[in-house]
Amino acid sequence: MDMAPLMLQGLKTTLWLFVFTALGSIPLGMVVCILRLSRYKPLQKAMQLYILFMRGTPLLLQLIFIFFGLPVIGIVINRESAALLAFILNYAAYFAEIFRGGILSISQGQYEASTVLGLSKTQTFFGVILPQVVKRVLPPGGNELITLVKDTSLAYILGLGDVLRASRTLTNKQASLVPLFLAGLIYLVLVGIVTYGLKRAETKFDYYR
Amino acid sequence: MKKTIIALLTVLFISSFMFGCSSSNGDGEDKAEDKWAAIEERGTVIVGLDDTFVPMGFKDGNGEIVGFDVDLAKEAISRMGLEAEFQPIDWNLKETELNSGNIDLIWNGYTITDARKEKVNFTNPYLDNRQVIVVLSGSDIETKADLEGRVVAAQNASSALDAIESEGAGETFDGGEPILFDTYNDAFMDLEAGRVHAVVADEILARYYISERGEDKYAVLADDFGDEEYGIGVRKSDETLLSKLNDALDDMKADGTAAEISEEWFSENIVK
Repeated sequence: MDMAPLMLQGLKTTLWLFVFTALGSIPLGMVVCILRLSRYKPLQKAMQLYILFMRGTPLLLQLIFIFFGLPVIGIVINRESAALLAFILNYAAYFAEIFRGGILSISQGQYEASTVLGLSKTQTFFGVILPQVVKRVLPPGGNELITLVKDTSLAYILGLGDVLRASRTLTNKQASLVPLFLAGLIYLVLVGIVTYGLKRAETKFDYYR
Repeated sequence: MKKTIIALLTVLFISSFMFGCSSSNGDGEDKAEDKWAAIEERGTVIVGLDDTFVPMGFKDGNGEIVGFDVDLAKEAISRMGLEAEFQPIDWNLKETELNSGNIDLIWNGYTITDARKEKVNFTNPYLDNRQVIVVLSGSDIETKADLEGRVVAAQNASSALDAIESEGAGETFDGGEPILFDTYNDAFMDLEAGRVHAVVADEILARYYISERGEDKYAVLADDFGDEEYGIGVRKSDETLLSKLNDALDDMKADGTAAEISEEWFSENIVK
């Protein structure tokens, strides 16, 4: 079929945006989460504000702001970097809250028990708390990843040709709905793969049972 | 105290954002300068286009950007001793992209309108266009006046929308305004589904679409929303680029190259 190369091109954009956003936003989300939980008040407040803005304004607006707004104050970055930066900053806020929820879900009694057993703070966190947090944040974190697969299509606003844009071009050219159907199928397969990966991860972390 | 700080930061963020938008949207900024030297040094002219706009500039199945305007641009820019580079953009943000320097030209069936003249400079027109009214064949809409109280669709940020608004026709439509789609394909699909009763579109695009979907399905009314011309959008400050581009286009019209490209895409010479 003569639409395969364009769709593949679009798939490439969708994939790199997805992979790099995930690789960037999950660690950043951890950092934001740790700062958010710090005892230092201004840091807490700053992170709350960051999360408020990132979750409180549309990602589409953030994309436009980073690409067209930053050059006004002298920061010029290319299309791909602007898109990636906006996605990472946005998704980090969501991941940070998911991680915070995971950490807060561990009962106070476990910290007390660890102290009684003579574990240090580091030992408590990495040996007792974290393994349970990982299990608990997997399902909501997976939700976020799946949303991300589909959100990558917002990059069209910066002219990046993702799967959805490629299929819309082909729809215009061929005056038919088939390319859009194909795009839906591609997203479905991608999400299927992510879901499978998450399921594997959940099985792997299925300890304490 | 905390609340004041939060409120202050909020105001700061929002105002800086609005400033950012307004100034990047702004026309004729005083800091702007002629970028010809920079363009020449780079060796490429970046042409911004909506890569879904068939047949003027679009990606073919192989992901190559092709089209009538694309061929025209390649030829004209090579005559200036430079290379054309094509950058897909979102059509709603075309003037912002141009004025923030991400692209050097808007060249994609870009209709010359007064509103746009305030934001960009246009080259001499190179193509005639008409805003035609397309209905399903057998529709009871036969004249422009019949559109009153009906649902009418057009593309967002298009010259069709400008034409409708300048005639004040939008208010007579059902809902008080036209339905706006991101691409014309959506508008035509909605027409076929019967939810909109007419589509106002560039004649060139409409003819392409009708020929793809079947001539007997649609009817183009004799009435239209006015004649117009396509030009190439150039930053206000880029006087050198504008005059060189005009020279190149004049050359191409004079020696028949433009006509050749036109015949290749439309099987007739419609370049003016």
